[in-house]
Amino acid sequence: MKFSRRTKGLAAVASAAAFALLATGCSGGGSSTAAGSSTDPITLTVTTFNTMGYDDLYKQYEAAHPNITIKATNIDTGDNAKTDWQTKQAAGAGLPDVQAVEEGWLSAVMQVSDQFNDLSQYGANDIKDRWVDWKLKQATDSNGRIIGYGSDIGPEGLCYNSAAFAAAGLPTDRDAVATLFGGDNATWDDYFAVGQKYHAATGKAFYDQSGFLWNAMVNQQKEGYYKTDGSLNVDGNADLKALWGKLSTATTSGLSANQTAWDWGKGKAFTDGTFSTFVCPGWMLGVVKGQVTSAGGSAATGWDFANVFPGGAANWGGSFLTVPTQSKHPQEAADLAAFLTSADSEAAAFGVAGTFPSVTAAQTSPAVTGTNDLSTFFNNAPVGQILADRSKGVVAQYKGPDDSVIQSQVFGPSIQEIDSGKADGPTAWNNAITLLNQLVVNK
Amino acid sequence: MTATLTPPPATTTPPPPRRAPKDKQPFRHRLSRFDVKASPYIYIAPFFILFGLVGLFPLGYTFVVSLNKWNLLTGPAGFIGLDNYVAELNDPFFWNSLFNTVSIFLLSAIPQLVGAVLIAAVLDQNIRAKTFWRMSVLIPYVVTPVAVTLIFSSAFDEKYGLINNLLASFHLDPVMWKTETFPSHVAIATMVNWRWTGYNALILLAAMQAVPRDIYESAALDGAGAVRRFFSMTLPSIRPTMIFVIITATVGGLQIFTEPKLFNPTTATPGGPQRQYQTTVLYLWDLAFNRQNFGKASAVAWLLFLIIVLFGVLNFLVSRRIASTEARVSKRRMTKLLNDHNQQKTDRAAQGSLAVIAAAEEKRS
Repeated sequence: MKFSRRTKGLAAVASAAAFALLATGCSGGGSSTAAGSSTDPITLTVTTFNTMGYDDLYKQYEAAHPNITIKATNIDTGDNAKTDWQTKQAAGAGLPDVQAVEEGWLSAVMQVSDQFNDLSQYGANDIKDRWVDWKLKQATDSNGRIIGYGSDIGPEGLCYNSAAFAAAGLPTDRDAVATLFGGDNATWDDYFAVGQKYHAATGKAFYDQSGFLWNAMVNQQKEGYYKTDGSLNVDGNADLKALWGKLSTATTSGLSANQTAWDWGKGKAFTDGTFSTFVCPGWMLGVVKGQVTSAGGSAATGWDFANVFPGGAANWGGSFLTVPTQSKHPQEAADLAAFLTSADSEAAAFGVAGTFPSVTAAQTSPAVTGTNDLSTFFNNAPVGQILADRSKGVVAQYKGPDDSVIQSQVFGPSIQEIDSGKADGPTAWNNAITLLNQLVVNK
Repeated sequence: MTATLTPPPATTTPPPPRRAPKDKQPFRHRLSRFDVKASPYIYIAPFFILFGLVGLFPLGYTFVVSLNKWNLLTGPAGFIGLDNYVAELNDPFFWNSLFNTVSIFLLSAIPQLVGAVLIAAVLDQNIRAKTFWRMSVLIPYVVTPVAVTLIFSSAFDEKYGLINNLLASFHLDPVMWKTETFPSHVAIATMVNWRWTGYNALILLAAMQAVPRDIYESAALDGAGAVRRFFSMTLPSIRPTMIFVIITATVGGLQIFTEPKLFNPTTATPGGPQRQYQTTVLYLWDLAFNRQNFGKASAVAWLLFLIIVLFGVLNFLVSRRIASTEARVSKRRMTKLLNDHNQQKTDRAAQGSLAVIAAAEEKRS
C-alpha cells in the first residue's frame, strides 16, 4: 500500500477538505429528512456507550431540526450499557428513543426482538444498501425485521511489534509481514509457525493470551457455537475441536504470555516486549495506543498494523442503533438513527472516536483513509484502508441466546487453564464440554 | 375550653346507648385521645411504609419469581414450584459460592475483631492527640469500597503487582492471588479488614469508655496489671457490644459482593476463572444478569436470606446466653469489687493523709 504514504501536509489539506465537505453534506441531508417529520417540539433520548463520537453530530441534527432536542446519555462501557438495557427491558420502562446495542449482546437483544421497532416501516428499505451486507444481516431478526442500523464494525487485522520482530530476525515492513503470515490466504497454521520461529529466536511469548485468538477462530466459522437452526454446535464439532487443538498446542508450548486481558499490567506488557503480536479489530487500535501510552510508551515502542489476519476475515464487535418499541416517537428516532449512520456521520465519528464505519461509502471517505492520530501512532500505517480491506468477506454468524455465556463461562475457564498450564488442550476441552452441559444444556 | 371541665349532664336521663357518650365528648377531647393513641403509630409509619415498599415487597416478589421459570428478558415461563430451589441445592456452583463466602467471612471476621479490640484498647489509654488517632482509624471506612478494591487489586496483581514484586525481590515465588482459591480469599479478606477494622474499633472503643473507671482503679490498687485488667475486666464488660459487632460483621460478610466483583473485573467468569472467589451474592448476580436465569437467581437470594436468618438466630441465642450469664457474673463480681473497695477506703481513711495523696494521684492519671 505504498500509494497511501502521503506527506503530512497533503494529508492535512485532504482531511480539512473532507471535514468541509462533511459539514455541508450533513446540513443538506438533514433538511431533506425534516420535510417528513412533524414540527411539534419533541425530545429524543439517546443512550450510547464508550466513545461513539456523536456529540457534534447531535448538535448538527438539532440545528437542522429546530423542533427536536436530543438528550444523550453515554455509559462508560458496553458491559455496563448491557446491564442498563437489560434492567430497563426487564422492567418494561425507561428505555430511550434510540438505544445503542453492541454486537456482543446482540443475541440477548434478538431474544426480545419484538420489543424493537421494525425499522423497515420507518424508511430502512430506502437506505439498506449503505451498509456492508453482513452488518445488515446481523441486525435482521429471524422474522426478517430490521431492528438496528449499523454504526461501527470491528474488522480484525494483526498488530505486531516491529522492534520485537527485528530482534527475532523477522521482517518488519508491514507488507512483508503480511506476506510472512500468508497474505490473503493466511491460516492459523502459518500464524503459529511464525510464532514458533519467534519463540525459538527470542524465548518470549508471541501473543498476550489465548482468549482473543479463540474468539476470532470461532467468529470466522460459518456457524459458531450455534447452528443456523438454533441448535447447539459445540460438542462433537470437529472444526472447533481441531482449532482448539492448534491453539492449545501453541499455547502450551510457550507462545502465550498468560496475561490478564484488559489489564496487561496497566499496559506494561505492551511496552516491555512480553509479546509481539496482538489481535486488532479497528476499535482495538485505540485500546493499544492507550495501553502503550499509559505505560510510558509511544509510537517509538514499535507497534505496527499489518493487512493480514490468520484464518480469513473476522469481525469482533461493532454496534447498532435501535429504536425500542417503548419510544413514543419511533419515526423521529429512526430518522435520527439514519442520520447518525449516514456515510458522512460515520466518517466524522471515525475522526473523533476511531470507530470504523459499517457504511461502505464512508469506508472510502478521505476522512477515514487519510492520516490521523492512530495511523501516526502505528508507524503511519494506512489504518482506514487496511480495515476496509479486512472487512471484506466477514460472515454474519448466527448467535444463539447463550452465545456470550459459552464464550465467557464455558471456554473462558478452559482458556485460562491452557494459558496458565493448569491443564493440557484435550483436558481443557473436556472441561469446557462439562461446563457447557452444566451451564447451557441443562440450565 | 371550659366545656371539658363541666361535669356530665343531668343524671335523671336514662342511660344513653353505648355510642352516645362518645358523641357527646367534645371534638377536642376526642382528638386528643386519638392523638395519644394513634400518633405514635403515625410517627413510626414512614419507616414501615418505606420498609414495606423497598424491603417486604421485593422479598415477597422475589419469592414469587423464585417459584417460576423466569428469564430476565422474556419473562415468566410457567410455575414450577420449588424446582429452582432443588436445582440450586444440587448445583455444585451454589455450594462452591457458599464455601467461598464462609471462607472469606472467617478470614475477615476473626482477624478484624482481634485487630479492632486491640486498636480500641490502645485508643482507650491516655495517649496524646486522642481525636487524631481516633479519626485516623476511621479513614479507611470513609474511602469508597470501589476505590479500595481498585488499589488492592492492583497491589495483588499476579504479574505486575506490588506484593509479588516485593516477594520476587526476596527471591520468593510469586503468589497466584487471582487464580488460586486460598490466596484469593486472603486477598479479598485483606480488603474487607482494611475497611472495617477501624470502624469496629471505634464502636468497641465507645463500649470500653463506658466501663466505670473506678473498677479499674480498685483493680489497679489490688495489683492487677494492664494485661490482667484487659482480659478480666475490659473484655467481659464490652461483651454485649462485641456481639453487636459480630452480628453486623456476619450479615455484611455473608453479603460480600463489591470486593470479589471488582477484584479481577476483566475475568470472563465473575469471581475468578474457575470461580475461586465467587461469593454467593456474586453467583446470584451472575445467574440473573449474565445467564439471565431470574428464577434461579431469586431462589439463591431466598436461600441466602434463610442462611442469614439462621446465622442471626444462632447469634441471638448465643448472645442471650452470654449476656445473661455475664450479667450474673459481672453483678457478683462488681458487688465483690465494690465491697472490697469500700473496705479499703475505710482502712485507708484510718491511715490518714497518705490515702488522700494516693487518691489524688489516682485521679490525675
